[in-house]
Amino acid sequence: MDPSGIFFTSHGSDRALVRTRPQAAALALLIAALALAPLVLSERWIALGYAMFIAMIAVIGLQICTGYAGQVNLGQSAFMGVGAYGCAWLLHFPQMPVVLALVLGGVAAAIFGALFGLTAARIKGFYLALTTIAAQAIFYFLVLNLPGEWLGGAGGLHLDNLQLMGFSLGNDRSIYWLTLAALMIMTTGAFGIIRSRHGRSFEAVRDDDVAAGMMGINVAAAKARAFLVAAFYAGIAGGLWAIALRHVSVEQFTLFNSIWMIAMMIVGGLGSIVGALIGTILIQLAREGVVSLGPQLVDLIPSAGQDIVFASMNVLLGTVIVLFLLFEPKGVMHRIEISKRAYRLWPFPY
Amino acid sequence: MTGSLTHTGQALGAHAVTLTFGGVTALDDVSIHVGHDELVALIGPNGAGKSSLLNVLSGFYRPKAGSVSFDGHDIGKWPVHRIARAGLARTFQGTHLLAHMSVLDNILVGRYAHMKCSLPSAFAYFPFAHREEVEHRQIAEEIIEFLEIEHVRHQPVGTLGYGMRKRVDLGRALAMEPRVLLLDEPMAGMNGEEKEDLARFILDVREARHIPVVLVEHDMGVVMDMADRVVVLNFGRKIADASPRAVQQDEQVIAAYLGAKA
Repeated sequence: MDPSGIFFTSHGSDRALVRTRPQAAALALLIAALALAPLVLSERWIALGYAMFIAMIAVIGLQICTGYAGQVNLGQSAFMGVGAYGCAWLLHFPQMPVVLALVLGGVAAAIFGALFGLTAARIKGFYLALTTIAAQAIFYFLVLNLPGEWLGGAGGLHLDNLQLMGFSLGNDRSIYWLTLAALMIMTTGAFGIIRSRHGRSFEAVRDDDVAAGMMGINVAAAKARAFLVAAFYAGIAGGLWAIALRHVSVEQFTLFNSIWMIAMMIVGGLGSIVGALIGTILIQLAREGVVSLGPQLVDLIPSAGQDIVFASMNVLLGTVIVLFLLFEPKGVMHRIEISKRAYRLWPFPY
Repeated sequence: MTGSLTHTGQALGAHAVTLTFGGVTALDDVSIHVGHDELVALIGPNGAGKSSLLNVLSGFYRPKAGSVSFDGHDIGKWPVHRIARAGLARTFQGTHLLAHMSVLDNILVGRYAHMKCSLPSAFAYFPFAHREEVEHRQIAEEIIEFLEIEHVRHQPVGTLGYGMRKRVDLGRALAMEPRVLLLDEPMAGMNGEEKEDLARFILDVREARHIPVVLVEHDMGVVMDMADRVVVLNFGRKIADASPRAVQQDEQVIAAYLGAKA
């Protein structure tokens, strides 16, 4: 809902993402602040920043697949792995330029993801969740059992001396800017997809697949497309992760990561791109808080011991998420929308 | 748009269709044909097989025997979305609207098959996807204006009342630019005024688009006023197929509705 007194005179401006001048100014300020942040932040915050950006890209993909198209996806981490290995392989062996390797890694993941999307045409719910877990198993099995010269086996692949347009990608700041640029492109792209006929076909399939079919939407193809988009986003995120760590191995892409991504998506709010971003920030900050608070607590209460403190911090984090799901099951975004609406209507009730 | 329809006498037809669910025979050797620019009403007591026949026509149920033809093609084995893209649009008994999406988006979903943008061009959005969105938005707005639902266009359909939802359902079917329109009890559960509104919309659609309409309806007043021809089903069998006036005097039809004389 727009604030009162704001009207649009063309269908184009009614569909725009940034709808008013203050919004545009706020967005420009935010982007400028994010871009300049590494000049003042410490190494640790920069590293946390790009880890967040990368996670955001993957969670946006998951949001399109699960939040918009309604298809359960527990394979997002495996899709990330395929993208990471694809990108690393292209950088390592044919020594492709970074951007090309990233995109092709994403495409490889997208193809892998679409194969699982095809199964979604026939199965739903729990059964689909199990099938996407198979993606994880297949990924592990392939990487560990293919000849070691191909993908490095259990040791993984190393990347050295990467450059992008003359700049070295060897320091954290350049990684930060690369991932920020990628996040901006992928976020804009996600808004494009959900505003197009494809986004509407995803939502139609989620809300009522019988009606979607009768409206001329090929339901099976739409589901496969949703997985393709999710896996492409995961693949780009995985490629960035490989570049950031200059190393890939299977342990970076576990089923547990997929579950964390689902937590980020749900906390942010299903069916909202901005929700995916907010959820990722909240969960990543909470995890970071637990990691940094742990040692301080150990110092404070030495008798508790390290093991107990770290274990109980994870229990605390889990409890917070459970409570959040109980009291705010529609996510942060839902609450924000309600407050925004109330604020714009005030002092009238509707 | 009418193109080849005008050359054949029949837009849509079912031939000797039999449909069973387990041991229950829902349709037994039923044939029906719909000429171009004709409004055919499908009536019958509860459980007579009206909705089943409509579901067979739109490809949702596959008959056990018999065939369905649309515009000269045998569509019996086509997937549902292909039948829809060929120009067969329907509304649903109850509603199958997309509750979380706005009225506008529901109607734009009907435009899906008419839009062309690919995933990569949707990702880039400008300029192609944007231009296409604006173009089709214009068409959707015309339908919204026609159905007089401008004031709710941005509301989620799930928050609307029943009568409004039925209008959106019709709007979404119209957005598909159908060559045949199937309406499954569009007026069920409406009050008199709402019924009159919807009847007026249906008549306007016929006047503007000259497309055949198949109407399943319980309200006899509506059926007798609007239909060119009435097909009566009872226990899965067709018992009459004639003008409204003739059907009203048909002994079998009277028996089906009021019970046979002992």
